[in-house]
Amino acid sequence: MSDVAAYEPPPSKPLGLGARLHCWWTIFRIALEERLAYRGDFALGTLMRFLPVITQIFLWWAIFESVSGGSDSGRMVGYSFHDMIAYYLLSMLGRAFSSMPGLASNVSKQIRDGEIKKYLIQPIDMIGFLWLARAAHKVAYYTVSTLPFALLFFLCRGYFTQGWPDPSVLLAFVISLLLAFALGFLMDLCIGLIGFWFLEVSSLLFVYMLLNFFLSGHMFPLDLLPSPWNEIVQFLPFKYLAYFPAAVFLGKVPADQLWFEIGLEFAWLIVLIVAARVLYARGLRRYSGYGG
Amino acid sequence: MAIIEIENLSKSYRVYQKREGLMAAIRGLVHREYRQVDAVRGIDLKVEQGEFVAFLGPNGAGKTTTLKLLSGVIYPSGGSCKVMGFVPWERSNEYRSRFALVMGQKNQLWWDLPSQESFRLHQQIYRIDASQFQKTLDELTELLGVRKLLGRPVRELSLGERMKMELIAALLHSPEILFLDEPTIGLDVVAQHNIQQFLRFYQEQRKITILLTSHYMKDIAALCRRVVVINDGAIKFDGSLSEVVDNFSSTRLVRLRLADGELATGIESIAEVESIELPKVTLRCQRLQVARVLTEALNRFQIEDVAVEDPPLEEVISKLFHDTRGPEQSSETAKAEVQS
Amino acid sequence: MTEGTTNPEANRPTNRLSYLRVFATFARNSLVRDMMFRANFVIEAVSSIAWSIMNVGFYWIIFEHTNSIGAQTGWGRSEFFIFMGTTWIINSLVQAFFMPNSEEFSELIRTGGLDFALLKPIDTQFLISLRKVNWSSLINLVVGAVLIGLSIYDLSHRAESPWRFEPFILILYPFYICCGVAVLYSLMICLAATSVWLGRNQTLYDFWFYITNFSRYPMEIYSRGWGLPLYFIFTFVIPVLVVVNVPARLLAQPLTPRADWEWPLAGFTIVATIASLLFSRWVFNRSLLAYRSASS
Repeated sequence: MSDVAAYEPPPSKPLGLGARLHCWWTIFRIALEERLAYRGDFALGTLMRFLPVITQIFLWWAIFESVSGGSDSGRMVGYSFHDMIAYYLLSMLGRAFSSMPGLASNVSKQIRDGEIKKYLIQPIDMIGFLWLARAAHKVAYYTVSTLPFALLFFLCRGYFTQGWPDPSVLLAFVISLLLAFALGFLMDLCIGLIGFWFLEVSSLLFVYMLLNFFLSGHMFPLDLLPSPWNEIVQFLPFKYLAYFPAAVFLGKVPADQLWFEIGLEFAWLIVLIVAARVLYARGLRRYSGYGG
Repeated sequence: MAIIEIENLSKSYRVYQKREGLMAAIRGLVHREYRQVDAVRGIDLKVEQGEFVAFLGPNGAGKTTTLKLLSGVIYPSGGSCKVMGFVPWERSNEYRSRFALVMGQKNQLWWDLPSQESFRLHQQIYRIDASQFQKTLDELTELLGVRKLLGRPVRELSLGERMKMELIAALLHSPEILFLDEPTIGLDVVAQHNIQQFLRFYQEQRKITILLTSHYMKDIAALCRRVVVINDGAIKFDGSLSEVVDNFSSTRLVRLRLADGELATGIESIAEVESIELPKVTLRCQRLQVARVLTEALNRFQIEDVAVEDPPLEEVISKLFHDTRGPEQSSETAKAEVQS
Repeated sequence: MTEGTTNPEANRPTNRLSYLRVFATFARNSLVRDMMFRANFVIEAVSSIAWSIMNVGFYWIIFEHTNSIGAQTGWGRSEFFIFMGTTWIINSLVQAFFMPNSEEFSELIRTGGLDFALLKPIDTQFLISLRKVNWSSLINLVVGAVLIGLSIYDLSHRAESPWRFEPFILILYPFYICCGVAVLYSLMICLAATSVWLGRNQTLYDFWFYITNFSRYPMEIYSRGWGLPLYFIFTFVIPVLVVVNVPARLLAQPLTPRADWEWPLAGFTIVATIASLLFSRWVFNRSLLAYRSASS
């Protein structure tokens, strides 16, 4: 009868912090390895990414030549040629944090193919898992692209005519970049989770991509938009993905509004977290309701 | 002249040696280690027109690589080969319109379209005369019993039906040589049987030359008179199936059925016991010992029925694979080939 | 079944006709397939139109703030829209006929599916390059043509140096469109072939996008300062700059009278096209040599 203890179910208390951290680390590491496996593709891909910068510099250069004042002193809604390039480079940095290639389509595909069951069976949270995997991919990306990015910014340092901003602005800039990652992730995730209701989200995804591309300020500073579009876009969350970090760095956000704007971004973060959680919970209920 | 002549054919390639762990993955960004894998090492083989030859061997033995070399898909690292007088890897259009390759694990039909669309495409590519095409297609669909499925998208077909369609696609241009790589892999018994029947009939009718690789002994026993055992990239045996058994199995199984109530106590002193499920007992002994074992058993036990058999083919073959394995770490070679 | 093997050389139609027929079957099969997924087709069409409108919107905003791209280049709003329309036409042709196939080519190399293509008694590059036609991409061709039409209407009705019709454009414009498509195709198939050496090439589309990105704007923008080396590299080494620039210039007439370098450039484009095609053929054959076929 001394075996009785062995028949007791294992204690069902949640995993200890150590075990949990270890689990997270494992997920993170595997995702990182996956990224580094194909080095040729990866290196070439990173390098190629910088080619459009050259085109953009020349395009804006040519555009500013015909603005009154020419490329030296001509201005477009407060942006000089140099500002425009600095803006472009910074918004690219923002995109490096906020873009989530393939996330939404992957999530909806997993829902469609029933692969999502694995998150129901294994003791991991899907959103947390995806978040870690994305973070790892991003870290892998930054590891490889920090050098080219640094080189690029060094070569283009001439375009940053105002030098480094104040420490507080710099802090706000870093926060806005991290938030850009979180918001980009959550927005993509929400689109993917809509796959619980519509089997085919590719059209929705495309609309989202379009809006994202034009309204995030990736192509041009949102200030260029004529009224009332400019005002409308300022109320949407897309601007945090590219425009906002760049605008913070370039001092386009007035100092008295800076922290208010960051607070607003936090509010969006919370709204999106709640939205993702609700969509996931509702979606799962609907999914298991159908019997998978 | 033989239709296929292979001399000292060999193929080796480099594989990237992936190491485990994060640090290794990062190191792999800068420096990579490669290892040479010899998939085929100096094969000599002659096949006559009209033969139906089976390639037998464990995974990664070099069977598929040999078929790919013969069909010109890959270049050899050494040796020579002539098929119908052509060098396969020159891939002349004339050569390519005179043979076909079917791979059980790969699918060449358009996934979303009915198979007849893919067939029509083949007609264009192989430039088959329209009436000839219709005639061949009718014959083949009739033989395989898939006429009704022609208009159904390939993705909606079962694995067996798909394989039949693959076979039709391969035979539309009336190839003189057919290479079959695991044509029955993953199929159920009925579908396997259907395809065997078809292949045998077709080969007898047309007298074409067929080279087949398979894991299923039943395929080989049903179809091929000649068996070529490949292991470790080299030919280990070439002959008939019965010769395989004679050469590689020195033992026989003696199956006894004891009389009711008879116990098998002490039977192990006669010969090695394979199994005892009273009233059935199976013994194993050397071939020359069969007479002695039978006499002793009949003397000591009350026996109702006796049968002497060769060991099952699977067992012979797995022994064959094991015995013919080279001195080097061939398991590693096998693994590497699968990964690549 | 008793007839045995007929002589495959007998009754063969002429070579070129047969290739045309194979291509027609490819195109037909693709259309059948596209029609099976009609909803997808419509979605793609709608989204590419949306994309185009967004693009026009973007440059409309830019031209609100400036009157031409580059001083004295003549690329004003309508001229530039002709340029953009030409870009779309060329890109849509490439995307319809070659893009899905090139993407699949890398995939075929990776999974070993290239085997089947190698077995067919037909030119492998032809088979690989034209296997599928992505009909929905041709929507952009229509959109581009409409944009060009509107812009030409606009240009020919302006007071100052209106656009004038030159008959030769009816031949030269389509001809140079074809040259441009051929150059881009060569580039694309070369990129796809690299997956033989790189192992994976899923970012093929990205590569292609980034390199052809240079061709999307008038080449004059690079002809200054440190842009000059690029100008020469992307004209004479990887000739992506001539792809859109030559036909768009011929049609849009940004400068009146034409600049003296326009016709030599047009002549060079023909040379560049032939060279690109030959080079891509060479790379393709090299990649086949290196392809060792994923086995088992």
